[in-house]
This record gives sequence, C-alpha cells and structure tokens, in this order.
Amino acid sequence: MAKRKIVLCYRKIIDVNSNKPWEKLVFNDSYMEFRMQVQNFAEVQTYPSYGELLSHVPEVKKLNHIVSGAVMNYIQQLNEVMPDILNNLGRRFLKFKTFQFEIINSHLHLKDKHQVSISFFSEPVLWYDTIDNYLLIGNEIPAESVVLTHLFQLQPYLSIYSVQMID
Amino acid sequence: MERKNFLKSLVISAVSAPVILQACKKDSDSASPDATTTSSSTADGSAEGGCVVAPTETEGPFPTKQPASYVRSDITSDRTGYKLTIKITINNSSKSCAAVSGALVDIWHCDAEGNYSEYGGSGMQSTNYQLVHFLRGRQTTDANGLVTFTSIFPGWYSGRSTHIHVHVYNSSGTSLKVTQIAFPEGTGTAVAAVNGYSKGMSNYTYNKSDNVFSDDTAGVEIATVTGNTTDGFALSIALAVPA
Repeated sequence: MAKRKIVLCYRKIIDVNSNKPWEKLVFNDSYMEFRMQVQNFAEVQTYPSYGELLSHVPEVKKLNHIVSGAVMNYIQQLNEVMPDILNNLGRRFLKFKTFQFEIINSHLHLKDKHQVSISFFSEPVLWYDTIDNYLLIGNEIPAESVVLTHLFQLQPYLSIYSVQMID
Repeated sequence: MERKNFLKSLVISAVSAPVILQACKKDSDSASPDATTTSSSTADGSAEGGCVVAPTETEGPFPTKQPASYVRSDITSDRTGYKLTIKITINNSSKSCAAVSGALVDIWHCDAEGNYSEYGGSGMQSTNYQLVHFLRGRQTTDANGLVTFTSIFPGWYSGRSTHIHVHVYNSSGTSLKVTQIAFPEGTGTAVAAVNGYSKGMSNYTYNKSDNVFSDDTAGVEIATVTGNTTDGFALSIALAVPA
C-alpha cells in the first residue's frame, strides 16, 4: 500500500470515575485550579456550572489554557509517552510532544461535575500496513534500511488526527 | 491488495463503530488464514473480542503530587525586559489591618509588547511548559503577609495604563479579592523611564483615563515603584482584603 505519514490523537477523559493515581492527581488539581480561576469571573456566582457560564461569558474559554497550568507538571511526568495506548506487545509506545487540555464540564461548588480531557498528539509516524485489525507503524527512515515497527489496534478515543500521502 | 483495502476500511470505521469492529473481526479471522497467527497469539493474552492487550511493562511512571506551574517566585519565563521585583503585603481589612499569612496570591501581567500568555493557548500546547504560562505566578504569604515575585516591568496595550492583576485567595482557594496594581506616572517615575519599551508612549492611556483606575482618586491602587533601567525596578504595595 502507499505509505502515509499520520499523526495519531488520543483523547483521555478524566472525571470523578477516574481511579488511577495519575488521573486522580490531574482530576483533583485541575478542579482546584478551575475553582480558583473561575472566580475571576463575577458571573460565576450566578452561573456556577461551567457550561452555563461559558454560554453567557464567552471569554471564560480562556480557562482551558489557564487551568492547564495545574496539569503541566503531570504531563511532564509522562516523559513524552502517551498513557494507556499500548502496542500489541503490551507496552506504551506513542511519543508525543504536544497536547491540548480542555475543560468539558465543571462547577464552582460540585466537584463531581468536573470533567476534563487531555488530547495527546503523536509525533508523525509512517503507516506501513494494516494487518487484521491492527495498524503497522514505524518511524520514517532512509530507503533500504530495516524499519522497527509497532503493531496496535485503534480503540475508542484514539484516532488519526492528520494524514499525508508519501508515495 | 483488495483485501488490504477492505481491511483498512474496517479499521477506519472501527474508530466510530466498535460494535461493527467486533463483528468484522470474526469475519476476517475465518476468511483469512494468514491473519490467524496474529489473532490467536493475542487471544491468549487479552485481545479477544476486539479488546486491546493489557499493560505488560515495568510499573511506572510513579506520579507524585505536583504544584501548578504558577507556583514560582520568578515568573519571567522567556520574556525580556527591565527586571522588576514585586513585593505585595496582604493585610486583613476585617481585623485592624493585621498581616494575613498563608494566603495565596496570584499575579499576572502582560509582557513588554503588551501580550498576555493566556490568549495564545487556544491550540495545542508544547510539553515545554516553561514557555506557555509566562508572567503568571502564585506565592503564599509569609508571617508578615508578604509575597515576593521577580518579573519584568510590564508593557502596555491600547486602552489601559500599566498594571498588574492580583487575585488573593484564602488557603483553601476561596477568592478574597480580585484587584489590579497601578503605577505612578510623571517625570522621574518608572513608567516614564521605561517609556513604553519599543512602543513609546504615543496613545498611552494614563491612570486618570483608565477605566479601572480612574475612580481611584485616593491612589490606594498605586504602588510605590523605585529603581532605574540599569539596575531594575522594585515595586511594593499593601493590599487590604477581608480575610
């Protein structure tokens, strides 16, 4: 098949049901930061739910960036390897250097309404082949060299973010 | 080749339709002997019925509680400008102006060109976290109610005089006061010495015309600012909040 250069995106949802240590830290600290920062908007006293506040005060969307300051140090702890996504050998393998933090829902007073997502964008990789339900990907290397590859399955919240045809 | 294309389309549709994925997986298993090797080897693990394998690697990373990236005294990041030391003392307006210890103080201000960090972040962020939250910081007041930040002298932007935003919280993060710090103006002041950096002072908004500071006739929002462009500047102000 024609080779394609792809960027994969994994969108990790974190909410009150998340129970791994890293997820809990992100949940608690992003909620604390949200609660602190949202108080910059006096309207939150009238509209304590994030969704409602956002519809009345569009400027509130900048909280996505400001609250991300609370999770930056946790992103660092991942050492640029995406969590959760495993190759068929059971190892985490997808490298990322960029991410996007998003507040999905939250509430000034109700912590269990807090829900955020972190979208991890992979470094570009070549999609060499598709075997059964698995994608075979590897780094781009000079012609005639052996390519080391990863075999993995697409799964919920993992998608192909962009594609570029190589030949 | 045809089969590959067919399988490829299955994989793409699998993103939005995991149910279809399972159904198709069975089809492809029985229809293509060459794919059985892959399928059966994973079936021993945990990949049955379209599931992916469970983690099988050394445990870790071990996450530990980390402060927000704002918790720092030097908030300069990659921004350049004249050094500014900021000392803010928090007093309790409900308790004879006694010093408030253990309060959280957030400050943020624009860079020499008048830009804030929070407006650049609508897209993806880099893992190089140092750069994206420049000129924002958080400190906790000491026994004397004091916090100290190191930064650069703020620039200005259209419609506002030079200012620093301040948000004071109690130790549990409940807001006590959202306010702004203004700068003295006129001959010999820091604002005059910095002269708006490369922008100059043409169309600058002075405090008396500023929509935030114009009602502050007593000047309680205006800080004391000393220093010069060679050695840097020092700002100090006391803010009374109902704590």
